[in-house]
Amino acid sequence: MKYITTINDQQFEIEIRPDGSLWVNGEQRRIDFLPLGEASLYSIIADNLSMEALVEERDGKWEILLRGRLYMGTVLDERAQLLAARRSTAMDDSGEISIRAPMPGLVVAVPVEEGQEVEAGQTVVILESMKMENELKVPRKGVVQRISCEVGQSVEQNKLLVTVI
Amino acid sequence: MTESAPQNIQKILITNRGEIAVRVIRACRDLGISTVAVYSDADRTSLHVRYADEAINIGPPLARDSYLRMDKLFDAAKKTGADAIHPGYGFLSENADFAQAVADEGLIFIGPPPKAISTMGDKLAARETVKKAGVPLIPGTEPGLRDDDIVAAAKDIGFPLMVKAAAGGGGKGMRIVENEADLPNALAAARREAESAFGDGTVYVEKLVVGARHIEFQILADTHGNTIHLGERECSIQRRHQKLVEEAPSSFVDEDLRRQMGEMAVKAAQSVDYVNAGTIEALVDKDKNFYFLEMNTRLQVEHPVTELVTGIDLVKEQIRIARGRRMGPTGSLVEPNGWAIECRINAEDPYQNFMPSVGTISSIIFPTGPGVRLDSGIYSGYEVTPYYDNLLAKLICWGETRPEAMLRMRRALEEFKIMGIKHNIPFHQNLMSSFSFLAGNFDTSFVEERFSMTTYEDEPSETDLETAAIVATLVAHRKRQLASQVVVKGERDTSNWKWVGRWERMNR
Repeated sequence: MKYITTINDQQFEIEIRPDGSLWVNGEQRRIDFLPLGEASLYSIIADNLSMEALVEERDGKWEILLRGRLYMGTVLDERAQLLAARRSTAMDDSGEISIRAPMPGLVVAVPVEEGQEVEAGQTVVILESMKMENELKVPRKGVVQRISCEVGQSVEQNKLLVTVI
Repeated sequence: MTESAPQNIQKILITNRGEIAVRVIRACRDLGISTVAVYSDADRTSLHVRYADEAINIGPPLARDSYLRMDKLFDAAKKTGADAIHPGYGFLSENADFAQAVADEGLIFIGPPPKAISTMGDKLAARETVKKAGVPLIPGTEPGLRDDDIVAAAKDIGFPLMVKAAAGGGGKGMRIVENEADLPNALAAARREAESAFGDGTVYVEKLVVGARHIEFQILADTHGNTIHLGERECSIQRRHQKLVEEAPSSFVDEDLRRQMGEMAVKAAQSVDYVNAGTIEALVDKDKNFYFLEMNTRLQVEHPVTELVTGIDLVKEQIRIARGRRMGPTGSLVEPNGWAIECRINAEDPYQNFMPSVGTISSIIFPTGPGVRLDSGIYSGYEVTPYYDNLLAKLICWGETRPEAMLRMRRALEEFKIMGIKHNIPFHQNLMSSFSFLAGNFDTSFVEERFSMTTYEDEPSETDLETAAIVATLVAHRKRQLASQVVVKGERDTSNWKWVGRWERMNR
């Protein structure tokens, strides 16, 4: 089985052959890899280097905690990779940006108006959660198309707050 | 201060949650005292409920409907026959009306007398009282002024200055203002935050001490007229006025300064006839001038660092004092034993501007070994909710010297693994690599102005990236094989587990 695995934007072609051997970008790797008792904990010995990894899948993304660092990535088999490639060419950077609530909270301020131009990093919503005010910012410049929340409103996680084009 | 007759305490109700409730329960267990936990609907599965002998539901998740409802807390005390109340920190711990109501209910409040709480809780009264006792203060306005009066007064005090909530604590409602133009907006924001956090939007301003270090003194006072200090804690590593790292002692404080500040702290506590554990917070400028900030009339989050360098269990002392006995220690601390440092492990993402994180902790591995203490309210499978503060755990390390404590902290942080939510362990790891921090060269603006998550963090090595890719792929592959096995049964002659085991072994 061949996989395209992307970790921190770096791609690896990883093949697990029917004989159980492991190949990375065409080179064979010898790794001793065993699940430990706990659900997502694994022990790895590679070139005498002994490591522990926590490996979990969440919403289609893989999270790997290895040697004090958290890596994020995707693991796609060849067919899924093909589909993903086709989908991403259909999208480009000029699309809508949806500012959603990263956690449940209370909208304390919306310092922008519909139709207003916003710069990258500009705050569009102030959301209070865990007793702190959190500023939600736009990742790039654009125009506020729609404000879908109001001051004083309690919002659930993932609720659409502001749309920027 | 009158000597009170010894009070019997057999069962303590803890009007708090999370790690501090667990901490208090542990002290009670050590003393053979029964414990009662209270919990909101959001906290049914919290650790403090699991650790307590009895647990009572006090209503909906929002604190004002549960942990702040005195009537429900007293009902719980009656129902369980508790004879004393420990408030922890936050919630009702610094509410004088609560302390009084506890006494009126015929219960023992494990904390200071209501009068000491109300005096120290009222910034103006606190300043006047300690000033009379000869304690140095930072210039500022009294609370309760209208915005235009504050703006006028601010011109005399000078910028930069700090807007603070009169009912404040924990950094809520605080704003630094660099110039006059920004003051009206800062006042409005601070009022709003204070209103929502404490139900009281009263604010005041104070001169900002530039290059200040936040150094506080632990106080213990009993009903037999003894008031002592247990040395200082350095809490200058803060972000948005939230402490992130505390240590005891402070590398900035020498024996002479400790004696001077300690005497000031004892005087400040005595000026309100303080009893039980409390903390005098002070700012110290680069020339070692110190100013009284406020007194926290409760147990502090960071009390464990003092415990580790004094060997004193502060919660047990609190209970002993509440029982009307003499406190254990016989005098103020002269020389701390070794060095202790505490990292607050919060549910917040240091790579995303410390955005709070909620969700379920999917895996957790706790640090252990020599010199490591963990005060925690979490476990694998625990759900972090948005209703309360985001403190998950406190990791405290002790060493004979500051460098040994730091190196132990580094090691313990490496061992500490939390998955499922974002947390600030990477922040602490970076901090423990910072030369400025290791050299003791920092002040309260260090984290916000001179610290970056990228300074000490190198790019991951190619080998580690590849290893991460390999393990993710192997786990994904294994899952896939296990899933397909359910559908395509008997296609292989060996069991799926054996097969997975085989490719793992073949690569040895």
